[in-house]
Amino acid sequence: MMPNIAVLVKRVPDTNAQILVSGDRVDLSNVKWVMSPYDEYALEAAMMHKEAQGGVVTAITLGAPECDKVLKDAKAIGVDRIIRVWDDSWSELDSNQTQMALTSAVKEISAEVVYCGKSAADTGAGSTGPGVAERLDWASASNIIGLEFEDSGIEVIVPAASGNARTGISLPAVVSCDKGFCKPRKPNVKGIMMAKRAQVEVLAAEIPASGINIVSHTPPPQKAPGQTFDGATNVPAVVAALRNDANVI
Amino acid sequence: MLTYEGVDFYDIESQLSEDEIMVRDMVRDWVDEEVIPNIEEACREGHFPEEWGQALGEMGVLGMTIDEKYGCAGMSYVAYGLVCQELERGDSGLRSFASVQGSLAMFPISAFGSEEQKMHYLPKMASGEWVGCFGLTEPDYGSNPGDMITRAVEDGDDFVLNGAKMWITNGTVADVAIVWAKLDGVIRGFIVEKNDAGFSAPEMTGKHSLKASVTSELVFQDCRIPKNRILPDVKGLKGPFSCLNNARYGISWGAIGSAQACFHSAKEYTLSRIQFKHPIASYQLVQNKLAWMLREITKGQLLALHLGRKKDDGSWIPEQISLAKMNNVDMALEIARMARDMHGANGILDEYPIMRHMANLESVKTYEGTHDIHNLILGRWITGIQAFTRDL
Repeated sequence: MMPNIAVLVKRVPDTNAQILVSGDRVDLSNVKWVMSPYDEYALEAAMMHKEAQGGVVTAITLGAPECDKVLKDAKAIGVDRIIRVWDDSWSELDSNQTQMALTSAVKEISAEVVYCGKSAADTGAGSTGPGVAERLDWASASNIIGLEFEDSGIEVIVPAASGNARTGISLPAVVSCDKGFCKPRKPNVKGIMMAKRAQVEVLAAEIPASGINIVSHTPPPQKAPGQTFDGATNVPAVVAALRNDANVI
Repeated sequence: MLTYEGVDFYDIESQLSEDEIMVRDMVRDWVDEEVIPNIEEACREGHFPEEWGQALGEMGVLGMTIDEKYGCAGMSYVAYGLVCQELERGDSGLRSFASVQGSLAMFPISAFGSEEQKMHYLPKMASGEWVGCFGLTEPDYGSNPGDMITRAVEDGDDFVLNGAKMWITNGTVADVAIVWAKLDGVIRGFIVEKNDAGFSAPEMTGKHSLKASVTSELVFQDCRIPKNRILPDVKGLKGPFSCLNNARYGISWGAIGSAQACFHSAKEYTLSRIQFKHPIASYQLVQNKLAWMLREITKGQLLALHLGRKKDDGSWIPEQISLAKMNNVDMALEIARMARDMHGANGILDEYPIMRHMANLESVKTYEGTHDIHNLILGRWITGIQAFTRDL
């Protein structure tokens, strides 16, 4: 049976971007946007799955039209379909709403396996994969660091209490991916030309009202300035600071 | 490490399409990951890493403006220019490899070749499986290729070539050579393959420039090729000059990459180098140099982009390419020299990319139409009087 494979991808600020807080809200107007790095591993896992067993890979994102770029990036890598879930009446969605919207899209395309990053580089919540699995009532494997494809399903390696656990999973399942088990492939010019011509399919979804209210954003505290010591006479002071304050020697 | 973002003072990016940006970023990332960490070693050893050629094929940037029917991408000339820019930010030798393969070897097959020739050669050249080179310049005929000595004569079902070419990028490693030779006194293009009898391509050594690039002689000693290897659809200098127009166009973008690399290094160095208690970037003389670099790079970018759009809509004339190639290589070379000065003694070390770019650009200034020849091309356009030659 050729699987119907979905991969969830998210647009996030570049992990090197400097995040500013303006007033009581994060100001993202001048940041460069990229696909969340763990999602690149999920995308690679989805492509590997297709190469092993055939089928169709659909990349799904949630967001306004500016999020089309991550779908085009996925298309350039080689996915078959690209879908954006959105309704113009939505603004920022909470985790519950996000999972409900993505679950709706996964059902809509009749996917049998869903890959996603273990967490997004912006929020770092890590709730989407398990949350979507819960709503679908599917098996869930989180933070995988190894992946093999079997006739009956997939085998994943996940970190366990001591060492790693190799776990067989029957489909349908949601698999959230850590880095390290593969090298995400890069696009090429032909893929980029395919992406240029590709149409993003936009799906709506029913989502519940949010019970969440973000009161304010604040930047992380400034790092304390370092100390500077000049000259050989300060060696004892440096050693004392490293031993007593920093506890590194 | 912060992602390299390039110099974009006039928001050139806003003028690029999404796919052009994607192609640029693809090559930019590859250059950062694979080329920049290894380029100095390649230069020291004086070789072009074979895997770079394969990677260019896998990325699909070889002959990327040629039709998809032949295994290419059919992309815009602006996208091709951006690729040249990013490759040359790594090294001029790398950009030269792509220029020669795409503009000088694949382009003439696509523009002047038979359908059989296109189907036979282009897909394998696009993938990087076959490397191409371009033989026009001869030991005694550089700026004046019209007087070339290399000859082809018909002999039964074959052509027989005799002569020699010099300064041929990729020659020794090439599977396919596009060779320009006179047949009955008329310049024609021929496809020579590496194992053809009577053909050899010894490597030229001792270069202080383009060290990570293969430069060769091509020697034809009763070199016999079948008659179906002539490019049927072009006669005269129009053939090689059409190729050179494309390569020169790519160079006008490539030089911006070199200039950006030197500017970036000069900025970083002068901000961190402390003299007289302050970063030297805080001094007016250094800021004047940085401002001049930014000014020249920005002008060069606008020139290249506008020319690229004209290439794409077909409204360009060759003289515009001459101006862009000449100007952008000239400014890049001056920026490299100035950056060397700003790095002080450190500027001569291969810890910094400066001296390598500077030495490379000395070649780039001369190849594909020297700086002076491009001035003469413009002089002819302005006055209507050619000044290349006269009876003395």
